Amino acid sequence: MEWSNRKTAKALIGAGSGRVDEASWESFLSEINAAIVEAAALDLPLVVDLEGIEYMSSRGLRVLTLAKRAADAANVGLTLARPNERMAEILAISRYDRIFTVTQGLEG
Amino acid sequence: MRVRFWGTRGSLPVAAKAAAVRQKVAQALVLANGRRFSSKAEALAFVDGDLDFAAGNTYGGATSCVEIEGGDGSFIVCDMGSGLREFGLSAAARCSAGHKREYHFFLSHLHWDHIMGFPFFVAAFDSEAIITVHSGHADAETALRRQQEEISFPVPFDWLKAQFRFITLEPGATYDCAGLKVEVIRQYHAHDSYGFRFVDGERTVIYSTDSEHRLGDMEQEARFAAFFAGADVAICDTMYSLADSVTMKEDWGHSSNLVAVDLCHAAAAKRLVLFHHEPAYSDEDIQRMHDETIRYEELMREDRRPLEIICAYDGLELDV
Repeated sequence: MEWSNRKTAKALIGAGSGRVDEASWESFLSEINAAIVEAAALDLPLVVDLEGIEYMSSRGLRVLTLAKRAADAANVGLTLARPNERMAEILAISRYDRIFTVTQGLEG
Repeated sequence: MRVRFWGTRGSLPVAAKAAAVRQKVAQALVLANGRRFSSKAEALAFVDGDLDFAAGNTYGGATSCVEIEGGDGSFIVCDMGSGLREFGLSAAARCSAGHKREYHFFLSHLHWDHIMGFPFFVAAFDSEAIITVHSGHADAETALRRQQEEISFPVPFDWLKAQFRFITLEPGATYDCAGLKVEVIRQYHAHDSYGFRFVDGERTVIYSTDSEHRLGDMEQEARFAAFFAGADVAICDTMYSLADSVTMKEDWGHSSNLVAVDLCHAAAAKRLVLFHHEPAYSDEDIQRMHDETIRYEELMREDRRPLEIICAYDGLELDV
C-alpha cells in the first residue's frame, strides 16, 4: 500500500494505491491518521482518493471508520472519492456507501 | 459428520406472517407463467429449479440450535434456542428407534435466545436420558434453573427427570467429549460468549456465534483465524452489515458477513455458514445478504481456493 498527500485550494487529497487487507491495514491506518493531522493543521477537509486502491477488505473499511472518528474529533471533514468499480461494489456490499460521502470526482 | 440446523435466527424467534406467504404464492404464480403441473412432485420441482430460495422457501425463525452428528453417536447440540423444541421431538423419535439417550450440549452463552428452548426440551423429562451441558460459563446451571423458576415457567428444574451434569470448559485446553476433540475460544459479547471447534477424525466444524470482532481489536483476529484454521465448516455470526456493526450496533456483540469471509479466508476454511440472522430481516433481505456475501468472497478471493458460502436456514442439513 502506497500513500501520498497533496494540497489543493479546497482540500488535502490523500491518495492510496494497492490493496488494503490484513497485511497492509496498519500502514493504511498510520498514513490516514497522519493525513488527518495535516488536514487539521491546514484547516482543510481530507479527501481520500481511492482511484489507486485496488480493493479493501473489512480491515481497510474498518480503518476508514477509525479515520472518520479521528477526523470528526479533529473537526476535519472526510470524504471518499473515485472508487474503482470493485471498490464501489465493496462499499455498497458493506453499506459503507451509506455512512460515508462517496464522490466520483475530487471536489470533496 | 453431519450438521443440522434447528434454529438459525438471532436474538428473538420470528415467524413469517400471512402477508409474506401471500406474496410468495403470488410471485410463484407469476413466474409459473401459465405452466400446468400434473403432480405435486412436478410443482415442487418447479419451486426447487425455477424459484430462488426466498421466493419458494423461508429461512425460518427459530433461535440458535445446531446439531452435530458424529463422534460416539451421542446427540451433540450447540445452544438451546427455540429450535431445541423441534430437535427434542426428532431426538425422541430417534430414541424410540434405538438411538442412545445421551446428550451433550455446548452453550455459546446464556442469553435468553440461546437457552429459551430448554423448558420445552422433552428429553429433560426422560428418566433414562443423560444430559451433559458443556459451557465456558461456570453459571450455566444457574441460568437454566433460573428460567424455570415459577415467575418465568410453571415447571421447576427439580421436577425434570433426566440425569444432568454441568461441565465448565476452559479456553486453551482440548477436551475429549462424545468422541470429538473440542476446543473453546472466548469471544466478545456481553457476559462473554464462547466459540467451539469440533474435530472428528479429519473433519472440523466451527461454531462461532454472538461474537463481535471489535474495531479496536483487529490485531486479535489472528487468534480467531488460528482457531478456525482449515475448518471444513465455519458457522459464523453474520447478523449485521459491516457498516451497522461499526456504527449504531457497535458493542452489541455481533459481527458481519464481511468479517466472517475475511476470517475464513485467513483460516483457509472450506465452507462458511451465515448464521444468527437479524430478526428484522425478511427472507428477501437474508437472500440479498447471502448473494452479496458470495460476491464479496469473489472480489476478495485472489489466488485462494474458493470459499463456499452457505446461508443457514431452519431445516438445513450439511454433510461434512
